[in-house]
Amino acid sequence: MSDKTMIDEEERAIYSGDHCLSCTSCMANCPVMAAAKDYRGPKLVAPAHGRMHFSEDDTELSLDFCSNCKSCDRACPSGVAVSTLNMLQRAEYYKKHPHPQRDDMLAHAEKMAKLVNALPLGTTFANLGMKIGRSLGMFDSMGIAGEREMPAYASNTFAQEFRKIKQPSSDKKVVFFPGCSINYNEPHIGVAFVKVMNANGYEVILDEAFNCCGSPLVVTGYLDEAHEHAENNVERILYWKRQGIPVVATCTSCSLMLRKEYEELFGEEAMKEAGENVYDAFEFLEMLDAEGKFNTKLAPVNEKFLYHVPCHLKAAGIGTPVVSIFRHLPGAKVELADAGCCGMSGNYGFKKDKYEISMKIGEKLFSRIKAAHADDVICECPTCRMQIQHGTQAEPCHPIEILAKAYQ
Amino acid sequence: MIRSDVVVIGGGFAGLIAALASAKRGKSVTLLTYGEGTLTLNSGVIDVLGFDENHNAVENPLAAIENLPADHPYKKIGTKALEESIDFFTAVARKNHIPYHGSLDRQMMVPTAVGTLKPTCFAPHSLSGSEVFPGKKRIVIVGIKGLKDFYGDIMVENLKKSLGEDKSYEVLEVETGLTGGRDITTQDVARWMDTDEGTSSFSKQLLKAESLQNGNTTDVLFVVPQVLGTKGHACYQTISSRVGTDVVETTCLPPSVNGMRLQALLIDSLRELGVDIVENTKVVGAEKDGTQATAVIAQTASNQKRYYAKKFILATGGFYSGGITMRDFEQPKEMIFDLPVYFVKGEENWSNKELFSNKPQGFAKTGILTDETLRPVDESGKRVLDNVYVVGRNLGGYDFCFEHSGNGVALASAYKAAMM
Repeated sequence: MSDKTMIDEEERAIYSGDHCLSCTSCMANCPVMAAAKDYRGPKLVAPAHGRMHFSEDDTELSLDFCSNCKSCDRACPSGVAVSTLNMLQRAEYYKKHPHPQRDDMLAHAEKMAKLVNALPLGTTFANLGMKIGRSLGMFDSMGIAGEREMPAYASNTFAQEFRKIKQPSSDKKVVFFPGCSINYNEPHIGVAFVKVMNANGYEVILDEAFNCCGSPLVVTGYLDEAHEHAENNVERILYWKRQGIPVVATCTSCSLMLRKEYEELFGEEAMKEAGENVYDAFEFLEMLDAEGKFNTKLAPVNEKFLYHVPCHLKAAGIGTPVVSIFRHLPGAKVELADAGCCGMSGNYGFKKDKYEISMKIGEKLFSRIKAAHADDVICECPTCRMQIQHGTQAEPCHPIEILAKAYQ
Repeated sequence: MIRSDVVVIGGGFAGLIAALASAKRGKSVTLLTYGEGTLTLNSGVIDVLGFDENHNAVENPLAAIENLPADHPYKKIGTKALEESIDFFTAVARKNHIPYHGSLDRQMMVPTAVGTLKPTCFAPHSLSGSEVFPGKKRIVIVGIKGLKDFYGDIMVENLKKSLGEDKSYEVLEVETGLTGGRDITTQDVARWMDTDEGTSSFSKQLLKAESLQNGNTTDVLFVVPQVLGTKGHACYQTISSRVGTDVVETTCLPPSVNGMRLQALLIDSLRELGVDIVENTKVVGAEKDGTQATAVIAQTASNQKRYYAKKFILATGGFYSGGITMRDFEQPKEMIFDLPVYFVKGEENWSNKELFSNKPQGFAKTGILTDETLRPVDESGKRVLDNVYVVGRNLGGYDFCFEHSGNGVALASAYKAAMM
């Protein structure tokens, strides 16, 4: 990226620790603190250490407990980018310390998926391999929670599926950012998104030059690599912005990374500018609705949905657009789970030493789901859905799938 | 466009009450919040008026309101709305399993974490100190091993002064099994108390108190930090019945467990009524048409979103929460509607260097003045916007900290604004 203009120091997340009043709101709302008594909590780790502006060579080791769920950021009345300060300090730590073996695997899902997809029958063998590996305890010995199933690869990537779709052409276009999970594991969600956008008169563009958003890299401390991803993705987003075409994501962690976390982590002006062109899928539909342009020709669904709002959607400050869009769905009833963080937080719950904490955090949501007797559990975040399935046997889906089905 | 009958800005006590009272009237309500609000940081007891302008203790808050200066928020709210707001609040709290004790014409004294007594008007049963003090002869102060900011010995010293030397005092330390990691907080202990293991272990340890071994059990009073469960008052009832006598919680340093119980109760009630709550969105401006506000502009992670409404209730707080700022001296600003802000003029009147003296702080009175409908007025008393109502700490003309009136003003103004 050519333009490296930095955001004004006063506005930069890395210096936001100075706004901390030590009020403890972040501690009161931290799900990890509630589950793990060894975590000293967001206040002490992020702003207190962050105040040193990373000049001192000391590390608060309990920083390792932070899952980057961003509950602290939401709780803070003073605009401290608490979790981002944690992630920046984590990256500093790993500059001088070796990573656990499993970090490499958990951070580089995209790289692995690309390798697997490059081989003939690669996904079939990889899925088989993961099953065997799991039963032989290989993941466990690497430091990955053996209790969990690794997400299986789809036989075709979303990009392959996308090429088969015959879209009606339109002047109105959006660029879809599928993210790794949809591209490699759940392409049907991307297909549903295309259907919904087409039904609303939009043509969907897939830009294969996008990388993984970088979220798994950031949380495992591979910040330099994440920065490279950010530069590439920001350049692409700005390219589309210049043509007046917004970038839309269906994964609420991808969209938060593209629209906000790049800017917070790396402080470049271009990232802020790019963020303005990124939307969550339901946010975009809600904007159409606000202008009276949302297609409400929807078939009745007559279902009760229990909606788990992902933490990263709450952090986006856009409310719950799924709820307002579903009001147009005849017969649909949406109830909020309102049971806090699911505990998975991206790859956090996959870490062997964090598995128990992750499941403890999820308890409230699990019992809420078990007691709710909803027809379907809906949630935009792929790792929240994995956690819900693991903790309850429910089979949650993305709300865009429900909407796509209703556009008959 | 996103349109509601009422948009409430601010998720503190005033904002939550304004949203709830509006929704109960059948209005469609959108609540915009940024940060966790005040309830994590306050005890959730309702102080109405603890001290007058000269720092004399107020015995009858309802009567004392008559003598307040004309610019004081209570003078605009009026005692009728205050009384109605209390009825409204206590009904909601009772229905949601946190019954409150109290009355507007007398003070209740609640014990603090250092053993002094603090005047308030309404408190949940678990905190209603002076309701249970009479007749108690033996006081057991319950400390928690590893708990920050709760010191039994200091409590004994101060409680002796307030409750009398004629009583016996015992300090008992409860072991929770939570130690060994970080310093524990009242919230950690309250979560442990949510479990059967916690309540059972806690009550067993209390039953070992020496004070219980002789004489009437009901002569004994247990004073505990705010640890009796994170929701409702079931845990408080269980513990009281298991030890066979009264148990009273103290106020404490944040995070405040009782504040969070109240917060959870109010948010559950809002959800039940279908209020749209939008978190983590800072409202940065408004669109106006003459003397009407038409929309507020809220910041998302990377964009701005407009919320249209017929009526707006401003509950963004004062200096601490950024509802009012003052970048340049004597140039205070209200950040959303750019309302006129009242302040005490003259540098010499701005602050009182004696922090704990019997004089208020000039700066604390900074805020927005309103007419009797709680709509903002300018220096000449002329209303500036017709559909914006100002509540809670956004209001000027009072020092809530000095006079102990924070939650009282918040509740009564929020309720009145919702009813207008």
